[in-house]
Amino acid sequence: MSEFINENPDVLDENLLPSRFKDKTDIILDNDLKAENLQRRMQLFSIHQNSDCQVYRSIELVDRLLAQEEVLSKNDAPELTDAETEEDDDESEESEDPIDAQEIYDLIAYISDPEHPLTLGQLAVVNLIDIEVRENPDKTKISEVLVKITPTITHCSLATLIGLGIRVRLERALPARYRITILLKQGSHQSENQVNKQLNDKERIAAACENDQLLGVVSKMLTTCK
Amino acid sequence: MVISLLQSLKLHKDKLWSIDCAKGLAATASSDRKIKLINLRNSDFKELEELDDNTHKKSVRSVCFRPHSSILAAGSFDSTISIWGKEENDDLQGTYQETEPLAIIEGHENEVKSVAWSHSGDFLASCSRDKSVWIWEADEMGEEFECLSVLQEHTQDVKHVVWHPLVNLLASSSYDDTIRLWKEEEDDWECAAVLNGHEGTVWCSDFETSESSLRLVSCSDDSSVRVWKHVEDGEDGEDVWAQESVLPQVHTRAVYCVSWSPDGYIASTGSDGILAVYKENEQGKWEVVAQQTEAHGVFEVNVVKWTKVGGKTLLLSGADDGSVNIWSFSF
Repeated sequence: MSEFINENPDVLDENLLPSRFKDKTDIILDNDLKAENLQRRMQLFSIHQNSDCQVYRSIELVDRLLAQEEVLSKNDAPELTDAETEEDDDESEESEDPIDAQEIYDLIAYISDPEHPLTLGQLAVVNLIDIEVRENPDKTKISEVLVKITPTITHCSLATLIGLGIRVRLERALPARYRITILLKQGSHQSENQVNKQLNDKERIAAACENDQLLGVVSKMLTTCK
Repeated sequence: MVISLLQSLKLHKDKLWSIDCAKGLAATASSDRKIKLINLRNSDFKELEELDDNTHKKSVRSVCFRPHSSILAAGSFDSTISIWGKEENDDLQGTYQETEPLAIIEGHENEVKSVAWSHSGDFLASCSRDKSVWIWEADEMGEEFECLSVLQEHTQDVKHVVWHPLVNLLASSSYDDTIRLWKEEEDDWECAAVLNGHEGTVWCSDFETSESSLRLVSCSDDSSVRVWKHVEDGEDGEDVWAQESVLPQVHTRAVYCVSWSPDGYIASTGSDGILAVYKENEQGKWEVVAQQTEAHGVFEVNVVKWTKVGGKTLLLSGADDGSVNIWSFSF
């Protein structure tokens, strides 16, 4: 296997994630191994080791979920509370201002990684520079949002799951005029084209969102969103 | 040629996926799990009926009327196909009879994406994310279905099936970027041709209504609309088909649906919300004769369908906001 560009990411402290409220120059994420960065890297390493079993169990679970063909019983299906849905509705109605990359970043950076106890922003799966918004000033016409993600693991199902989480989050939060494209950053995954195709197939996404178990996993990932 | 909007109906609470028209009726299918019938005969285009919504547990993806009858087939993400019709009851003549479920067909492993009746009404085709196309033979009542063939040559989800309006020739469109044509050879259904050319999922296709030539229009995630034609019968049942034209580029995003009118017009629509109509000036040379942007506001448009009611040509479109728009044309 070749090298993957985000295989062992520096874990970023939430306070260091790019945010609208700070001077952007404070957020230079250099690659120098400062003591602080080194410490974070070691932290991640220990997380990797300690949670090994958990990680593989998660992967297995996701595999099973994605492969399942049967309509599952709804007994243990976690459903979104009404409060959460309403909140998102309000959000979409109120967003009169044009949406920029930072706003998209804020919506998706706090989604939990399905595999680590960290957010997609902290793991640099989601990066501000990889978000592009093509805003049409005329709100009666469509605008486009492009998000490129850099998975930490080359495993297909997990990349798909992360992409699905991002799409569900954005579709719920953004007004209908936004067309969302989610792609894997070039060179970040062994089956890039397959995953990209799946993440942008409207019908497959719609069907995935009717799979209660899968939606449960996604909802869990979204509970850490701000 | 001018398109004008006659009526906009907000019929469903979720994505409207599919529309089929017959005998002055339109049926719609939606992610809200409902199937609705609209009367196209009166100019107010009223909703006639909502079919029993406990039948499907998930999105209804596709609807198709059986020719020469009042029977309707619907395919759902819950992996089943439902068959609907009206019970014969002389006592109730004159009053509106509700459409009842006649049969549920199981067989597909997961989401059914499309269902289609053959021109005679003898065969029902269905396709699914399980990569297969099934051909069923139906009894006259629409209650008994026998599976004649399971066609498994596609390597990915099969998105759409459609029959030729005059002969027993079936086209299937797939996530594997190809279209396959199927015909009956000595009691068995075989792949007659594979159409390669699209550079993305093929979402939908439709045959030309013609006795003299065999042609098919297709649309894809690659934002193109293409016309294919049958060149000659090959050996061993394999027919030779070739791409005849790529229609003028109108769409900027995935094209989800095409419809070829009996008059020879092609309509296309998709993710960019554009509704386009093309006319053939001479064989293989097409021009755009009408274009409606934001056909359903900012929403993606999933389906477009031509129909003729009382000699008038109508175009119906359906979108993600659950709305149906009914358009007329002045030629």
